[in-house]
Order: sequence, then C-alpha cells, then structure tokens
Amino acid sequence: MAIFGLGQIINKAGGLVYQRNFAEGLAQLTSNEYLVLAGTLHGIHAITSRLSPVGSSSGAQVIEGETFKMTILLTITGTKFVLLTSLSETTVEAMLQKVYDIYGDAVMKNPFHTPEMPIRSERFDARITALIGTGS
Amino acid sequence: MTIYSLYIYDRHCACVYYQDWHRTKRPKLATEGGTLRAVSQAVSPLSSSGDSTSLSTSEFINPRNTLSSSTGIVVATSEGPQTATFTPTMASAQTPNSSGLPFDEEAKLVYGVVLSLKNMIKKLSGRDEQFVNYRTSTYKLHLYETLSGYKFVLLSDPKVDSMRVVLRQVYLGPFLEYVVRNPLVKLDSRDYGVDNEYFRTSVDRLVRGLSVFL
Repeated sequence: MAIFGLGQIINKAGGLVYQRNFAEGLAQLTSNEYLVLAGTLHGIHAITSRLSPVGSSSGAQVIEGETFKMTILLTITGTKFVLLTSLSETTVEAMLQKVYDIYGDAVMKNPFHTPEMPIRSERFDARITALIGTGS
Repeated sequence: MTIYSLYIYDRHCACVYYQDWHRTKRPKLATEGGTLRAVSQAVSPLSSSGDSTSLSTSEFINPRNTLSSSTGIVVATSEGPQTATFTPTMASAQTPNSSGLPFDEEAKLVYGVVLSLKNMIKKLSGRDEQFVNYRTSTYKLHLYETLSGYKFVLLSDPKVDSMRVVLRQVYLGPFLEYVVRNPLVKLDSRDYGVDNEYFRTSVDRLVRGLSVFL
C-alpha cells in the first residue's frame, strides 16, 4: 500500500482547501507551491475536457509520470479530490470515493464549516489518517 | 481500442506535424497564418497562390475565396493515405461534425497542457521525472519527448496501455528517416512544418499496423 504524499482537495473555483502529505516519497514543497499546483491542476483539468477527439469528455482522471501517478476525482459539485500514488496502486478510485464520503460526513455536515473554505477539522484529519494510514 | 491523432511539436513550441485517424470531431480549419505551412494538408488554411499544386487536399471553408484552380476540394475526409479526389466545384463544404475549436488553437492548447503537466510533474517529484500520459473518460494522451526538444503527442482510446514505445518507434523510424535525414525538409525553421508524403505514409503504415489500432 504505497500512497505517496499529497492528498489535495480543490474547491470549484480552483483554490486549495485541504492538503496533506502522507509519506516521504515526493519532494517537500512550500505551502505556496502547493497552492499554485492546485490552481494549475484545476486549469489543466478544464482544458483536458476540451481536447477530446471524440466529443465531450471528462477532465483528466489519471496523470502518470514515470514512478508515480495522480488520480483525480471530480464530484458533481465541482470539488476535486487528488491523490498521488505509486504506479502499482489499483484501488485509488475506491479510496478517493471513501475520502469523499468522509468529506461529506466530517466537513459538509459540520455547521461551523464554510463551504469552499479551507478545512480545519480534527475529525476529518483523524478519519483520513485512519483510512489511509501513514502511507507505504 | 484505437488511435485518434498524432501531433509533433518542435523546440520552438510550434506544431510541425499533425495526422489523425479516427476523430469523430474534426477540428475546424486553421485561420490564415495560424499554423506553419506544411503541417498537415487536411487542416491548413486555404493557401494563397504560391503554394504548389501538390497540396491538393485542403478542405474548403470559405465560399468567397476565389483562388486559382490549383486547389481542389476534398470530398473524402483525410483518413488513410492521401487519395484525395479532385472536384473543381467551389461548394462550401464545411465538415458536418467539426468541433468548436480551429486547429491552430487546438494544437496550442494541446501543447500548453503538455508543457504545464511536464512542469507540474517535475516539480512534484523533485527529481527529473518525465510526464508520460494522462487519461480522461474518452481519450488518453501520450507524450514522448526527444533530447532535441521534439515532442510527440498521441491521442488514443483510454483503454490502451502506454504508447510511449510506439511514439519512440515513430521517432526512430519514420521521423529520423524521412524528416531528419531528408535534405528538403527545413527542420527548426519557424515557417514550415515537416509534412511530406513519405513521412505521412510511413507513419500511417506504422500506426495502422499496431495491434491496438481497431
């Protein structure tokens, strides 16, 4: 179970609302760089849906590098859940669905949370840790 | 399981070659001056007089264009080898299922996406990691970049595995043979693409010979 660093949740405007490193697999970036990365990913996701040679397409769902891949789940509300894992992971989509469930439970149902704003919830953090563990 | 299209970009960030096989949404023609000449006959804008009569397969969009009779109208689409049929009528034949984007804009978008993804992956990994491909629900885009800065971009069906090997074969075979070693092809120019008959047919043969091609 090698889930590298980086889970991200991006709101529908492209801003980063949650970011978490799980393992030491990837480079340490500053928080500013993570913000820029989330924005870039949001833009790329939009463009990839326009480049389809066969009519309407979703945006990019999996982006692969040589040693890792990035899986993106786009929900109906426009929120993106991003997870970086090693190439051999097969259960990432299911994992992202579970993260979405936890998001619905711990964040959306929280009356003190403003939607589209950064997530500051211990309950959410704890449940994500229980789900994903510390990676590897 | 099929291959949709191939783009080749040079190190000046311009599209120098384009070929497609199974697109159902064809791009609209490029605007005048939008692409380099000799990128692909199927998507070039209707050329002004001066280009040779061998560029006979431009698709025709502007009915007011009263050019010399050297440019004919393609009745068939540009799939397969260039067996265009000449019909000298000036009918305004816009392809019935053209997408909203003109070709030159689409080529630039593809390049932009590829460049941004490359930078993003490099940044994330911290080492010199290459972006390989990405998948959406309807297509998969593969990238192979050479040391000289040429980027080979292939769009295929989402179910194929990595086609990086195939792109490398395109580079090692047809590209080196009919483009790099061809003294008539102006590489690295800012005006011309690398479209020529030998290259096009050999790439076509290579792609159609793949097991994943339909």
